[in-house]
Amino acid sequence: MRKSLILILVIAIGMISLVGFECFAEDVVKVGAVQPITGRFAFAGVQINAGLEDALMMANEEGGINGKKIEYIMEDGTYSVDKAVAAFKRIMARDNPVIMYGESTGMGKAVAPEIKDRYKVLYSSTSFSSELANVAENPYVFVPGPTYSDMFGILLKYIAKEKPGANVAFFYSDTEFGRDPVPYGREMCKKLGLNLVAEEVAKVGGVDVASQVLDLKRKKTEYVIFQGFVLSPVSTVIKQARDYGLKVKFMGTHWGTHKMLLDKMGPLAEGYLGVMPYAFYYQDDIPMIKKIRAWNKKHHPKVEYRPTSYMQGFLTGLVFVECLKRADKAGDLTGDGLVKALQSIKDFDVGGLMAPITVVDNKIPMGRVYKANVSKKIFEPITGWIRTD
Amino acid sequence: MRCGDFKESYIKDEEIFQSFFVKFWLALFFIFLILIPFVADAYILYIANLIGFAIIGAVGLNILTGFTGQISLGHAAFVGVGGYTAAILMTRLNFSFWLALPCAGLVAALAGLVIGIPSLRVKGLYLCMTTLAAQFIFEFIFIHWEFMTRGIRGINVPSPVLGNFPLDTEKRFYFLTLVMVVVAVGFARNLVRSRVGRAFVAIRDRDLAAEIMGISLFRYKLTAFAISSFYAGIAGTLWVSFMRIVTPDHFPFHLSIQYLAMVIVGGLGSVLGSIFGALFMVLTPELLNTLSSALSEMIPGVGQLFIPMKEVVFGALIVLFLIFEPRGLAEIWRRIKAFFLLWPFSY
Repeated sequence: MRKSLILILVIAIGMISLVGFECFAEDVVKVGAVQPITGRFAFAGVQINAGLEDALMMANEEGGINGKKIEYIMEDGTYSVDKAVAAFKRIMARDNPVIMYGESTGMGKAVAPEIKDRYKVLYSSTSFSSELANVAENPYVFVPGPTYSDMFGILLKYIAKEKPGANVAFFYSDTEFGRDPVPYGREMCKKLGLNLVAEEVAKVGGVDVASQVLDLKRKKTEYVIFQGFVLSPVSTVIKQARDYGLKVKFMGTHWGTHKMLLDKMGPLAEGYLGVMPYAFYYQDDIPMIKKIRAWNKKHHPKVEYRPTSYMQGFLTGLVFVECLKRADKAGDLTGDGLVKALQSIKDFDVGGLMAPITVVDNKIPMGRVYKANVSKKIFEPITGWIRTD
Repeated sequence: MRCGDFKESYIKDEEIFQSFFVKFWLALFFIFLILIPFVADAYILYIANLIGFAIIGAVGLNILTGFTGQISLGHAAFVGVGGYTAAILMTRLNFSFWLALPCAGLVAALAGLVIGIPSLRVKGLYLCMTTLAAQFIFEFIFIHWEFMTRGIRGINVPSPVLGNFPLDTEKRFYFLTLVMVVVAVGFARNLVRSRVGRAFVAIRDRDLAAEIMGISLFRYKLTAFAISSFYAGIAGTLWVSFMRIVTPDHFPFHLSIQYLAMVIVGGLGSVLGSIFGALFMVLTPELLNTLSSALSEMIPGVGQLFIPMKEVVFGALIVLFLIFEPRGLAEIWRRIKAFFLLWPFSY
């Protein structure tokens, strides 16, 4: 009996040493992140990660959070829910950061109840899901821009102004990402007096879209808003629509407004509109873009272009830093303190990356409509900043 | 074989606990399992729970694929059926978790029965295709039967409650998982040495011969499907109650592949093998993740290179295991055990 007792003790001691002890350093502020570095979303995840890290490191170089250094802890979530949640818990257990960044809507939903009841950290993610951005239910979740619903609102407002009573169609993917803003979009159409004539659904990456395009033609659609696609089948739809002689204006939300799409579509992109909450890398007259370019030249000399996902990460970083500064000043560097700091952000200048930010309901509901310039292969702003609140 | 360990009857030969030492080590191991939650942090317990669910699912699949020889590529779908059934019963009809758990298992078993019917006519690769179809049919249902499943938005599931004691943390849930794993593994271990289990093995080894011996293929093949899906349903229920949400994202096709990999890497036709397989498939990516993060921290600037490499390493590990030990981790374990049993005087 004694032998087994000793064995148990040995095993228990082994376990404890495995779990390890944390050393707490007073002058470090920890920010954790689970990023989709591999998996389906890696093309954006790598950029978002770079943007977020650069913003935090830039703040460190400029003196940190009132003298404290930011430590950025990143793990790969592989864009699968259980791996991402595992990485989240690992970071929380090991490093106990005050801010966490997550990789997908699915992961956000899985950790949201626990963030609220147990972890109480400020949480932001790659997702612009309207369901996550619900202050009453998820008080710790911050969306670094407008939600997909807000983006629909901005586009519909633009349409209503350009052509009151126009025939509008939604073209979305059969995913959470695709369907998210559709109910709100329907409501907005009614409110703005627009005529929602069709809702087309297609697979991400699908190629056979002829029936949907013909349906758009039959219903005399004038405006089509894409949601839930990144590349395919947007170009196929536009090409077939042009072949059938449709006079339709095509539009996209955040993930449908990027340079990759223009590069792929070439001349087909003529007249394509998109809503984007952030400035583009080539708008080098904007002070913050200048700063980002200089930083990239110094720290990532091989980089020639940074897509909008980088800007998204970067802006999130700027807001994190501001929250940390405010919470630290108030002496409450906890999740609750950070949420309070977040909600106090008003007309905060981000150097033109967005218009001065005011956080409303833990999100930044504003964006700008951009138009594709086919010869230069870039998007150019055609409106000022449109707010939806 | 241990010195002086003679068996005089077949019953002795089939005993689960063959000697005092087996019982001793097993008891010690259980004490260790019970002690884990008191020393481990939330992350380790989270992984421990995931391993538990994987073990239940893998044991179920091993009964079907390893023992009965019916390859299934739709195991994740049955896990999903169980998960969704439990979620719907608990949220719509206010079933308690303890009632929803067996119900979910039964519904999954029913689904398994239906999907198993083609196995009476087709075998091997063709059966692969029909079970593959099940995977896609159920995935489609999860997404599109919005009235019931709430589509991609998913259902929020309450935590199980034991008396006045909600099992809402990893630590509390761990004990539930542990009990369920013990029950599931115990049942499977006993099943395979029963008449039913022997019928399964006979069907796997040669179905024609089995039928000539008087084994009803219809009955036993469908039984295997039902039991396997029942296990999957239980695993699914535990999983969604633990995550407190169920969405179609949880049951993708590659989860089915993963279960199959667990069974193959662990050892086909071995209950212990399923446990090893589940451990391997859940732990290795986590260890690689920790390792690659640590490496990229130590050598800054190459993180982008190391992190994707873990997928490659993981794949290579599986291939290597299969080349060097086609009978799986269970066989490696047996050899290690044999070595120590005879050490230092091997034959």
